[in-house]
Amino acid sequence: MASTPKKKMKPGTVVMYVVLYTALIFCALVTLVPFAYLFCASLKPSAIFFDNLFLPTGDGLFGIGWEKMNFDHYKRLFSEEGFLRPILNSTFYASVTGVLATLFAATSGYALAKFQFRGRDGITKLVLAALVVPGALLFAPVYQMLYWFGMLDSYTGLIIPALAPAFGVYLFRQATVNSVPNEMLESARIDGCGEIMIFFTFVLPLIRPMMGAFLLLTFLGCWNNFIGAQIVLQTPEKMPLAVAINQLRGVYGTDYGLIMAGTVVSIVPVLALFLLLQKEFLSGLTAGAVKG
Amino acid sequence: MSRLFRLIFLFVPRESLSVGGWIIVGLALSSSIAVLSWPIPQREGLEFWLFSKGHAELYQVKTDQWNAQRDPDVHISLLSNESLQQRMLASFLSDTPAADVIEVERNFVPQAFTGPIKDVGFIDLTDRLKEEGIYDQLNGPSFAPWTSRGRIFGLPHDVHPMMLAYRADLFEAAGIDLTQVQTWDEFAEAVRPLVGDRNGDGITDYVISMWTGGGFRDQLEALLLQAGGALFDEAERMQINTELNARVLATLASWMVGPDRIAVDAPEFDPQGNQMRLDGRVLVALMPDWLGGVWEMDMPALSGKIKLMPLPAWEPGGRRTSVWGGTMLGIPKTTEDFDSAWTFAKHLYLSEELAEGLYRKHYIISPVKAFWDRSFYDEPVEFFGGQPVGRLYIDLAPQVPLRTSSPFNTYAKDRVANALYLLKEYANENQKYKPEELMDEAHRLLKSSEDLVTRQVERNVFLRSEP
Repeated sequence: MASTPKKKMKPGTVVMYVVLYTALIFCALVTLVPFAYLFCASLKPSAIFFDNLFLPTGDGLFGIGWEKMNFDHYKRLFSEEGFLRPILNSTFYASVTGVLATLFAATSGYALAKFQFRGRDGITKLVLAALVVPGALLFAPVYQMLYWFGMLDSYTGLIIPALAPAFGVYLFRQATVNSVPNEMLESARIDGCGEIMIFFTFVLPLIRPMMGAFLLLTFLGCWNNFIGAQIVLQTPEKMPLAVAINQLRGVYGTDYGLIMAGTVVSIVPVLALFLLLQKEFLSGLTAGAVKG
Repeated sequence: MSRLFRLIFLFVPRESLSVGGWIIVGLALSSSIAVLSWPIPQREGLEFWLFSKGHAELYQVKTDQWNAQRDPDVHISLLSNESLQQRMLASFLSDTPAADVIEVERNFVPQAFTGPIKDVGFIDLTDRLKEEGIYDQLNGPSFAPWTSRGRIFGLPHDVHPMMLAYRADLFEAAGIDLTQVQTWDEFAEAVRPLVGDRNGDGITDYVISMWTGGGFRDQLEALLLQAGGALFDEAERMQINTELNARVLATLASWMVGPDRIAVDAPEFDPQGNQMRLDGRVLVALMPDWLGGVWEMDMPALSGKIKLMPLPAWEPGGRRTSVWGGTMLGIPKTTEDFDSAWTFAKHLYLSEELAEGLYRKHYIISPVKAFWDRSFYDEPVEFFGGQPVGRLYIDLAPQVPLRTSSPFNTYAKDRVANALYLLKEYANENQKYKPEELMDEAHRLLKSSEDLVTRQVERNVFLRSEP
């Protein structure tokens, strides 16, 4: 079988690729340096924490004092600091809020995009207007409302205010307008399909990239939510990971190694999730970027 | 779980979400079950918010004692400083319950004082403090940051006098006896021979840690207070563009640039700053009592190499200390059990056991004057070359300057720190390095800062000065 001859690249193109990939590799390394520092620092005991920037020097392989490093900070996180509960809390807040907020934002966005009802334009404008209100301005009124509803220091007090973000509603409205043809919806209705079934069976698959992107964004936002949890929650056992890590900081002294270990523990799950969802995340973010 | 998913797939097609999306759905379901099956014990009694982990560990012992002997129980909630501030202000502004007892840091308390005095969220403790004789038992200046328009809203936790920490080993090796220094001018003169490439790396090494970055504003305020200047007077009237303040700024700028430069940027609580201290690239720092514990924990390798001395004065015979930081215990008006909260506050802050614990752990001296003769303050401290650290700080405690509680003080500190930065740039550009050459520009910059702060103050109808 005759093999297809490989197309030879021009020397100029090769040079361009070499320069491009060198620059990209350099940028990737620069991006990874903080993570390398973080991981190295989490393995160094407090007594030698500031002795070397990355790994401690010694007589081991590559001139590194491997024997000086250990996993004591990680052990302490789970034995003394009780990090299992904050990890569970963060997983709970982030995943439940992410799933419910995506569902509510998608349904409301779909309603605003495809249904004709009185006040639709007004609601759309209200949603748009809500986008410009800074979150910090809402602390006091939200706190007061949660107090009135008896939701302070409760899981629901943290989850419910995040269930229908204006950004998400508007995002899904636009995604639905661009991706879901009216003819398809009409055909489904003619065939006797109910509205709920139409949404779950026809609309959701069409806006899947946006679902993935928004779900991940919301999950990450809730996972990293620090101020909200600190204001609404009071019981230590309900605090999420971001708060637990912050509380490792002392006013009169800080165990940096412990904080680094806590930070590693907090970024590993979201990093894994991002790797799983990255394809959808990128396609969701670029949806509508190119005119079809 | 698989049955649950089968049920979900009846309504939601698998292709609606990617594998990652379904993993998040799975996490939501499994974590919900786990949270529901891991019960949280219900707590009743007094709620106590604080921001310092070190404090929380010490207070837990006293709180456990209280809970064993008295009712109602007290529960400690540790929050970050920023969150405590947000939660406290949200509660005060919306008139909703906060904790029964709150420990707050000095930079955050003044925000509770922005409105009319009757609307301050903390209970006014003035009369009670005086009636019970507590006012006279504590160090007077410690009340100042918690006093607004003559009323006291908090029980002070500390004094936080300030000394000068220096690398005794390196000064002794250089044959310089810093303890003979009386004024800042003498200090600058004495340390100048040490400026140079001390470790042979080709980079000039300076002496004192002092720069114009964000963290410097508290140190700058401390130096202004030591000089007798300040940004607000005791009646909370602004006094930024004064001769004393201008002189301090001009002197500091002269330390930061030019041929006589002695200062370098070695920030506190910062790995790079700590490395400079460990390497001997910076030899002197301003040190309030609480900072000693931080250094000891972060830089154990400096043990025995550091010594303390009173701050050099701005004028011969002048004040040899200042103040940096501070904490109070306040009781919000929304508490349902003031008497218990007040009794607990005294049980904690007026306790000798706690005073000793705070000193042994953090070198913080108590504001309770009756404890100042206790022997634990006289014990030699190895980290500080065997000096009796507690006694050194206590000797200076009565001289600690009064501080303002103006809610505009933080903004004013930022503006004045910025003025110092601009003055340093001006000195560099115009090659004017002597303090007297910089005085006119210092006044101009302070005037500009004062105008900016005035504009902010005038917006507050409750605090602005009468026309």
